[in-house]
Amino acid sequence: MSTTQTPTEPAPAPSVQRLARQRSLWERTNKATVVMAGVTLVVFVFFAVADSAFLTFANLSNLATQVGPVLIVGVAMTFVITAGQIDLSVGSIVAFVAAISAQLLVAGWDSSLVMVAALLMGLGWGLVNGWFTAYQGIPAFIVTLATLSVVRGLALFQTEGFSVPIASTTFVAKLGTAKWLGFSVTAWIALAVVVVGLVLLHATRFGQYVIGIGAAAESVRRAGVNVKLVTMAALGFSGLAAGLAGLLIAARLGSGSANSAQGFELTVIAAVVLGGTSLLGGRGTIVGTLIGALLTQIIANGLTLLSVSPYLTPIITGTVLVLVVWINLRGRDLAWFVQRLTRRS
Amino acid sequence: MAEDLPVDQRGDLLVELAGITKSYGPVKSLRGVDLTLRRGEVLGLVGDNGAGKSTLMKVLAGAVQHDDGEIRVHGKPVRFSTPADAQAEKIGIVYQDLALCDTLDVASNLFLGREPKRGPFIDRKAMHEQAARILADLHVKVTSTHQEIGTLSGGQRQTVAIARAVSFAPDVLILDEPTAALAVAEVESVLRLIGEVAAQGVGVILITHRLQDLFRVCDRITVMYEGQSVDDAAIADLDIEKLVGLITRTPQPTRTQPTRTEGSRA
Ligand SMILES: Nc1ncnc2c1ncn2[C@@H]1O[C@H](COP(=O)(O)OP(=O)(O)OP(=O)(O)O)[C@@H](O)[C@H]1O
Ligand SMILES: [Mg+2]
Repeated sequence: MSTTQTPTEPAPAPSVQRLARQRSLWERTNKATVVMAGVTLVVFVFFAVADSAFLTFANLSNLATQVGPVLIVGVAMTFVITAGQIDLSVGSIVAFVAAISAQLLVAGWDSSLVMVAALLMGLGWGLVNGWFTAYQGIPAFIVTLATLSVVRGLALFQTEGFSVPIASTTFVAKLGTAKWLGFSVTAWIALAVVVVGLVLLHATRFGQYVIGIGAAAESVRRAGVNVKLVTMAALGFSGLAAGLAGLLIAARLGSGSANSAQGFELTVIAAVVLGGTSLLGGRGTIVGTLIGALLTQIIANGLTLLSVSPYLTPIITGTVLVLVVWINLRGRDLAWFVQRLTRRS
Repeated sequence: MAEDLPVDQRGDLLVELAGITKSYGPVKSLRGVDLTLRRGEVLGLVGDNGAGKSTLMKVLAGAVQHDDGEIRVHGKPVRFSTPADAQAEKIGIVYQDLALCDTLDVASNLFLGREPKRGPFIDRKAMHEQAARILADLHVKVTSTHQEIGTLSGGQRQTVAIARAVSFAPDVLILDEPTAALAVAEVESVLRLIGEVAAQGVGVILITHRLQDLFRVCDRITVMYEGQSVDDAAIADLDIEKLVGLITRTPQPTRTQPTRTEGSRA
């Protein structure tokens, strides 16, 4: 059983190679994600046909900007949900960071300092969530429900509910209107966050432990991993992402409001679950979150173009969320069924 | 304890537990357990359901923190506050409930907590190759290292958990009912494996309710009863009936007839 020392051993025997052989691409892909990719394509084609303004570069660029914040926070939320947790406070953190960053700019802080402060504020709230969840054992659902209320409350208290304008001469404001290759800074940053998320979830120990914790936290703990730290880091990550999103939203709108991003957490959670990440934990997909975020925003964007009442959007988002959760929880059996079918063939 | 022993034996001692206690609220799971394990020795740990065997082994593996008592490994007093501490002392364990992650694949479970890395990233190729080698060496019957643990049979999961513990090359190997879900051939190969690792100097603690297995591989038996270690006997001094008596604490009717062939086949 000389099993651990391997580097100098001769070429592996055929049986070893067979054991380690990679499975086919189809076997590896999350079936729920494939279904959602199809749905997204159908919805995309529907709006392209229904409204000629949809398939223009200007609108697609606009769509990318709209997807940005949802995607940035969605990627981080994918880690949180995969670890078997939830973060309901991201909308409030977005509003808090947007409002306070605007206030700091008004107070004369330099843009570079404000940008750092925005990220730190987001991270700070995320770590508060993470500490209570991981180290005090309070369910994340309860903790983040409380911070959802407290964080937005603090922002409202601080700004007295007024929207705080950002001077167009500041770097932050310029960042909000800047474009590169026709796409906004928000869109490019979102893309970068997706890449980071992909690498982090699928190629690092952190991602591996997040998945493991969602499946069986005690098993991961017994393997010698600091489960509390990993859990806190996941929630810290979603706070950080919300801080980044808050800064970008304030920059784009040219103002920070404590009333912004109402219901944002629902959109984000819908996007993540839509993409195939399991609400039960243990299974996460960043590509799925990308697709989910696109789908939710394509629907919102398309409905606006078709001049459907804006008041319908939250109703549709909520309905889609319930439908998706239903499919997601049933999807376990569906996935199992598809696996059976493909294995038999 | 160690002070009483001749010097040559002291070097042999891998693990000494003395007066270990552990309570879960009002439940006193362990009320003072003594146990020793030597290099190359196979120790059987037996006792009724709920006697505290698994709790004691979790203490020794760092998964549970005891209240009182002393743990010595290689004669040195240690205190394990995390499972990683116990791993650092080369203590490997197969938990009764296996402690695997259903949604991770076989290789990821084998290497959980010690994934081979290339720079900051997990080296998946190396991980799967090493995993395949470990599984092939131990004749574990799975079809692919990419298969999710949750899709394996109970016995396959158990053999993966055993492969995981053995692949750490531990000095102390704890097996908490490792054969409960195994078919005949797999039980045989686990028993053979125990003999092999012990021959290499590993100390093995085997918990099982299959008493006949104890007589095949163990050198010594420690008996626990209601959270205490109550007996410690060389296997040569026992037979199945005596052992049953020790476990159930019913005084054996003293019918050690000389006609009966005394049990030890060790
Ligand atoms: N986490 C816990 N919380 C409360 N009580 C516990 C806990 N873990 C174990 N116990 C109690 O400690 C006692 C010993 O349990 P343990 O699992 O160590 O027994 P065992 O000897 O391994 O039994 P078995 O042969 O059934 O595996 C039992 O009464 C059990 O109920
Ligand atoms: Mg037990």
